Amino acid sequence: MAKIKNLLKKRIVVLDGATGTELQMRGMPKGACPEKWCLKNPKLLSQVHRDYLAAGSDIVYTCTFGANRYKLAEYGVKDIRGTNRRLAQIAKKAVGNKALVAGDIGPTGKFIEPFGPLAFDEAVNAFKEQVKGLIDGGVDLFVIETMIDVQEARAALIAVKELTAKFTMVTMTFEQDGRTLNGTDPLTALITLQSLGADAVGCNCSAGPKEMLKFIASLTPYAKVPLVAKPNAGIPKLVDGKTIFDMPPKVFASYAKRFAKLGVCFIGGCCGTTPEHIVNLKQNLKGAKPAKSKRSAISALSSARDNIVLEKRKNIALVGECINPTGRKALQAELCQGKTTIIRQLAKEQERRGADILDVNVGAPGIDEVTMMKNTVNLLSVATSLPLVIDSPNIKAVETALRVYPGRALINSISAEKEKIEKLLPVAAKYGAMFILLPLGFKGIPKTFQERKKNVEYVWAKAKKLGIQKEDIIIDGLVMAISSLKKAAIETIKTVAWSMKTFKCNTIAGLSNVSFGLPQRSVLNSTFLEILKKNGLSLVIANPIRITKGYSKKAADVLLNRDKDAARYIAHFSKQPKQELKSELRDLSAKEKVCKAILEGNREDIVSFVKELLSIGVSAKDIVYKSMIPSINKVGDFFDQKKYFLPQLIASAEAMKAAFHFLEPRLQEKGGEKIKKTVVILATVKGDIHDIGKNIVALMLKNHGFDVVDLGHDVDPKKIISEIKRHKSPIVGLSALMTTTMVSMKDVINEAKRQKLSCRFMAGGAVITPDYAKSIGAKYSADGVSAVKVAKCLS
Amino acid sequence: MNVKLFKSISIEPNKNNIYRHLGYSKEKTEVHGVMRDQVDCYIDDSLSVIDLKGVAEVLTVKKADEERIELEGDIIFKSKGLAQFLKGSNEVLLMATTAGTQIMEEIQKNSSSGDLVRSVIYDATAGEMVDDALTWIMNYYKGELVRKGKQLDPRRFSCGYGDFALEEQKIFWDILKMKDLGVQITDSYLLVPEKSVTAITGIR
Repeated sequence: MAKIKNLLKKRIVVLDGATGTELQMRGMPKGACPEKWCLKNPKLLSQVHRDYLAAGSDIVYTCTFGANRYKLAEYGVKDIRGTNRRLAQIAKKAVGNKALVAGDIGPTGKFIEPFGPLAFDEAVNAFKEQVKGLIDGGVDLFVIETMIDVQEARAALIAVKELTAKFTMVTMTFEQDGRTLNGTDPLTALITLQSLGADAVGCNCSAGPKEMLKFIASLTPYAKVPLVAKPNAGIPKLVDGKTIFDMPPKVFASYAKRFAKLGVCFIGGCCGTTPEHIVNLKQNLKGAKPAKSKRSAISALSSARDNIVLEKRKNIALVGECINPTGRKALQAELCQGKTTIIRQLAKEQERRGADILDVNVGAPGIDEVTMMKNTVNLLSVATSLPLVIDSPNIKAVETALRVYPGRALINSISAEKEKIEKLLPVAAKYGAMFILLPLGFKGIPKTFQERKKNVEYVWAKAKKLGIQKEDIIIDGLVMAISSLKKAAIETIKTVAWSMKTFKCNTIAGLSNVSFGLPQRSVLNSTFLEILKKNGLSLVIANPIRITKGYSKKAADVLLNRDKDAARYIAHFSKQPKQELKSELRDLSAKEKVCKAILEGNREDIVSFVKELLSIGVSAKDIVYKSMIPSINKVGDFFDQKKYFLPQLIASAEAMKAAFHFLEPRLQEKGGEKIKKTVVILATVKGDIHDIGKNIVALMLKNHGFDVVDLGHDVDPKKIISEIKRHKSPIVGLSALMTTTMVSMKDVINEAKRQKLSCRFMAGGAVITPDYAKSIGAKYSADGVSAVKVAKCLS
Repeated sequence: MNVKLFKSISIEPNKNNIYRHLGYSKEKTEVHGVMRDQVDCYIDDSLSVIDLKGVAEVLTVKKADEERIELEGDIIFKSKGLAQFLKGSNEVLLMATTAGTQIMEEIQKNSSSGDLVRSVIYDATAGEMVDDALTWIMNYYKGELVRKGKQLDPRRFSCGYGDFALEEQKIFWDILKMKDLGVQITDSYLLVPEKSVTAITGIR
């Protein structure tokens, strides 16, 4: 560690260039296992290391990129530790004490939970096996490189850190869109990895230096560790069936100073680079001094695919509180059954309503919280890109979640209680998590600000001893109900204001507790939020589905204890009239409203508009023929012209159906003329299960006055024939999506002919063409609108 | 043989493609705000029930002529179209993805309860996502292969294309152990859950 830090004081550290492509150029056959081949050809490998040393590399990588149990198993190698040891020894012997040797750890080729089947700790153990071999071989530091999955990078980093204190660099590989294949962007990776203990973070492989500059630039303002860049010699090209990297050494090296300006302290080359690239790099770096990181900590959280930098925010960050079984019976039941639908939906719904972070609490009676928290965190790591708050009083549950979470999480919470300080605080430090400092002490809930202050100072001091900094802490204002403690809101406001002033750190408040037991809670909550914001609150825990914005003087009086027993507030808000909804439809006639509802697919309001028309004396028949049918025909035309797309067509058809359903009984009473309907049999043929298109046709036909008998999907030809006979149906619509099932259409039509049934057929579905329909004796129908036209022709 | 399982594929939906799948034309279609919000909202909703998984395996080409391809493990595909497509490949990548059962249950449930708008949007989103998941798997292999000096064909071929019979899907299902993915195959060679796809591409 000291050697590297000393090096960094003097100059930008030059890494080596490519090993794999260099070995291929020196005779390693395509598709060979590099580790196995190098152990058989140690002189060649030594020469590659020496050539990089001679070129000016301060650090060379061992040839152990794929020396893990999964990759080596593909080539029949079982001695993982020995292979790593020997390859490390070759590197050490080659460079002696003239350069440092980094034990190289690459991906396993397996995906780790929650993104793949490999259990997280199994991956950690596999990496430990490799790390032990590299330590045996005498490496000076470690490099975890070419990671496309931040979770795998985490597993490797934890493996190294649990075995040694050696300097460890982690570099990820990003696609040209600036994300790894798993969707992680550079800043998210940086936040996750530097908080977990990586000593340097950056990019390798990915692309050429030009593209990599952009990735590095996004890291510079947020890095508390030195940055690393090891780009390819340009973007790979395929020439005569071979992959080549053709950026000349001088061009490659011309980017060196730009990397240095962005704060890169370790620079080398990846695929396609050679000792000549490194020679040029070294020359171009002459005189360039390594930049010092601009910060030593950062208030930021991350998931696998996104991040939130709290200090960058101008607005308050919203922590969604809905994933909590307390008071949610359906969620409790689902957790007990091991189902995930509600959790997924709650995550998405809160995300859509503006949550920035999601709180996860799975504590409920009869639930194994450790397992449930781990499973839920795994689930949400995939289901949402929002960072998570691990909310549990169970220390083991928090630790298990932090270990598997592929990001930097927030712990809710650490108080001054002995167990939290002794057990949970070190866990937060180990995994680099941020935490909510809850000002609870040994004596229960402190009611006054003065008591809270003591608890905050106590936890703060303990955290500092573990290297935790103010940026890692969020102080909770501890919100209690004003209905039970009149000064509750005031004490919270004082706690938030003091925390902000004293520590200049982030603060948080669980908003909704304050209004418990009072009317119009949203008014109180939103007013409380406005007051807290003015006092420096940076995060709020609330239900994003219910949160409203605004300030009410009356609510403020209650919160600041200026309204005795909340009497004025209760008197005012108990009599609130219902809000009248503004309607853009107010100026339209009832007929126009019906037409507009069909044209816009307004299924919710159409019946009320129809009722309005009936109430002014328009007959049901006129509503159907003079308003509804012309409108739905217009929709059909719009669809044909592509002015409307499928959801609009269906929404309009559903609006029409709702109005029809309401009007149907009225069409047959008071002398209304009974509409004679043609029966159409519809079926998706035997063997086929895809019937969504057929369902659209059914809806469209119903709206145009046909009586549809829908037989469903995978329908046996015999059943279709018997239904045709039973309903004496003149029209039959058949659908199929696949080539293997469309042949069944012919069977049905042939059988109908054999039985001399007079019905006529129409056919549709993804694989059906007009020619095929014609060949089996059916009319072709391309979609719901054309099905109506064909049915009208056939009837 | 070594089938690689991708237990959870995290990709963002390509909304433009989903809209196109639903018949949207950038030049012609006029969607009012409420409908657009609703479509976007349903696409987002569907993501909470789409569980993208995949499997893939690289196999060596043993023999190839104009009409058939023979792979390691005595696997034979008879198709002129496929043989032409894979011409010059020493290896192939077989792959499959699925959107899972829950999305299909939701599509069916909404279709039966009369919310056909939601149903078709879920259907279109799941269809696009399984296809995008195949692209994701190909990108994963592309990166791995480049380091070995190999190249993955960026195109892909599937059963049902030209003379590559849908019946061959059973071979994919067997080799890729798609049962472990929760995917079944019917007597008419359809994959269940319905939003499941298979494909093959060449490696040079």
